[in-house]
Amino acid sequence: MRKVKKRQVIDLSLKIITYLASFISVIILGAILIFVFSNGSKLLSFKILTTDYNSKPYRLKTTKDVEGLSFTNPNITDAYFSEDFGFAVKDDYTLEGTETIRFVYIDENSPLKTSVNEQGDNEPFKVDFIFDSTMRAVYKDGSTTTIFSKDGAKNVVDTLNGAIKIEAANVKFEGGGIRGSIITTLYLIGLTLLIGLPFGVLTALYLHEIAPQNKITNLLRSFIDMLTGIPSIIFGLMGAAFFIPFTSLLFNNPDMKRGSVIAGALTLVVIILPVVIKATESALSVVPKSYKEGSLALGATKTQTTFKIMLPNALPGILSGAILSIGRIIGESAALIFAMGTFIGDNITITGRSTSLAVHIWSVMGGEIPNINLASTIAIVILIVVLILNISVKLITNSFMKKYK
Amino acid sequence: MFKVENMSLHYGEKMALDNINIEIKEKEVTAFIGPSGCGKSSFLRSLNRMNDLIEEAKIEGIVKLKGENIYDKKYDVIDLRTKVGMVFQSPNPFPMSIFENVVYGPKRQGVRNKKTLREIAEKALKQAALWEEVSSRLNESAMKLSGGQQQRLCIARTLAMEPEVILMDEPTSALDPIATQKIEDLIRELKNDYTIIIVTHNMQQAARISDKTAFFYMGELIEFDKTTKIFNKPKYDQTEKYITGRFG
Repeated sequence: MRKVKKRQVIDLSLKIITYLASFISVIILGAILIFVFSNGSKLLSFKILTTDYNSKPYRLKTTKDVEGLSFTNPNITDAYFSEDFGFAVKDDYTLEGTETIRFVYIDENSPLKTSVNEQGDNEPFKVDFIFDSTMRAVYKDGSTTTIFSKDGAKNVVDTLNGAIKIEAANVKFEGGGIRGSIITTLYLIGLTLLIGLPFGVLTALYLHEIAPQNKITNLLRSFIDMLTGIPSIIFGLMGAAFFIPFTSLLFNNPDMKRGSVIAGALTLVVIILPVVIKATESALSVVPKSYKEGSLALGATKTQTTFKIMLPNALPGILSGAILSIGRIIGESAALIFAMGTFIGDNITITGRSTSLAVHIWSVMGGEIPNINLASTIAIVILIVVLILNISVKLITNSFMKKYK
Repeated sequence: MFKVENMSLHYGEKMALDNINIEIKEKEVTAFIGPSGCGKSSFLRSLNRMNDLIEEAKIEGIVKLKGENIYDKKYDVIDLRTKVGMVFQSPNPFPMSIFENVVYGPKRQGVRNKKTLREIAEKALKQAALWEEVSSRLNESAMKLSGGQQQRLCIARTLAMEPEVILMDEPTSALDPIATQKIEDLIRELKNDYTIIIVTHNMQQAARISDKTAFFYMGELIEFDKTTKIFNKPKYDQTEKYITGRFG
């Protein structure tokens, strides 16, 4: 009887430890998600996904005096309307979360429609322009007052009261979006898988099916295992030292010496190769031996057996290797900082400079004022991209499995 | 058909077959019987060189198929396996459609014409007595068939290669009695056109379907004779003991 009691105590304590451990894990994982979502959801909008990072600044001035003009107020909520100039502005936030003043209404006949830039070309004010630092109000007697964006929208309208002209208006189309980084990330995933998967799968086929199983192949295997554990920044060094000059030579483009999407993708190929090789090898090793024997007994050659029986049956495993790879590609920052640079681009080409979402986070947090909200927003986007890609790969796998099982 | 002279098989240090001499006639059913580990399956697998897959397997002696030594360096092993088909212990259809399973062999030989492939499939499935059951669902997965149907599909797959010899390695050991009977009927049917060598654990099965029986024990071929003789008047004591169920 006493023995049984002791057993119960041990069982109970083991159970409690297990429950506690899993409870704590769930709490930690949940806390990360809650942190990211609570910080990031403020700035998350469709607009931030579709907007360029680099803003388009203008320095404009009006050409007509406004004397005697009077416009009707469209009565936009929270906006301040200038009757003399016929526009409305309101206090707003940029995509990155800083305070700004935004133009929300410009009348058809407003003098702002006929403004010119510094070269004297016609360049009208547009709705959605935001203040970029300052503008100057010019009065009838020739005196001027500088309007600062930090003083708020009401101040703009008040100061312009009685003015006849606007000069040196520093306005811009808002930047700060992550469109370029999203596209670059997708490019990186596509390119890396396109190059890395065939290389990795064929290497695994060689190791598992063709190579004689001896000390050399075992050595090769442990070498590949080791590669999965190497910090990626070391691969980044390789990217900077080899792939950047290599791609620059390959495309005969000296600009690519500053880093390019393709150099980043090639570096990522090296990073995912061990992952793909391992996933494929373990997928190959669970293909029933009887399939292989059946194929050979039917007079198929070894190569035919490898490509017609082993490879198709390993496909689900290869695809899960692809999912792991996608995770590594999206999550990679250290290696890409070296191999691709940190320039955040808007015109995305394979040979051009731009950066991935992860490096974008690094840039946002590495600036003079770290923007944790924007970083969290990008993190949410990354989570969503990972989720969508994982689900679609799983769907592909399932439809393949369903076909013949 | 097969003439084996002084054949021995080693797996590394271990001897699996010791000095086998046997002659297997055309269009007969030959059964290999014997207790587990006696070498009967190993011997069967050396007749179409499936033992090549095992790196440490080493074969000595001569195995002649129609007068040619199949272990000769010049002998094409792919060619051998198209002539000597094999059906395995548990049904091993590929995870493909029924049709693709049957034409797998011919396709690998380069047959591409769809009409020809269809004819091959129909003929093979009819020979394997499976046509009526599957003709309406050739494009369905072979994995959906029952165990017995799967095994007949594997036989059809082998027949599609138009082999001369069919090796069967305990083809009914994973099947229920009804499916087993169907396979046995099929074997009786097939022996008119093919040489069949079957390894079996089931002595009644050997008695029912084979013309000749070979009894293996501890890697040696103890006795090889007409089945009726082996089962009624075996020459050796060991054979009699095994057949009467005193060991094995």
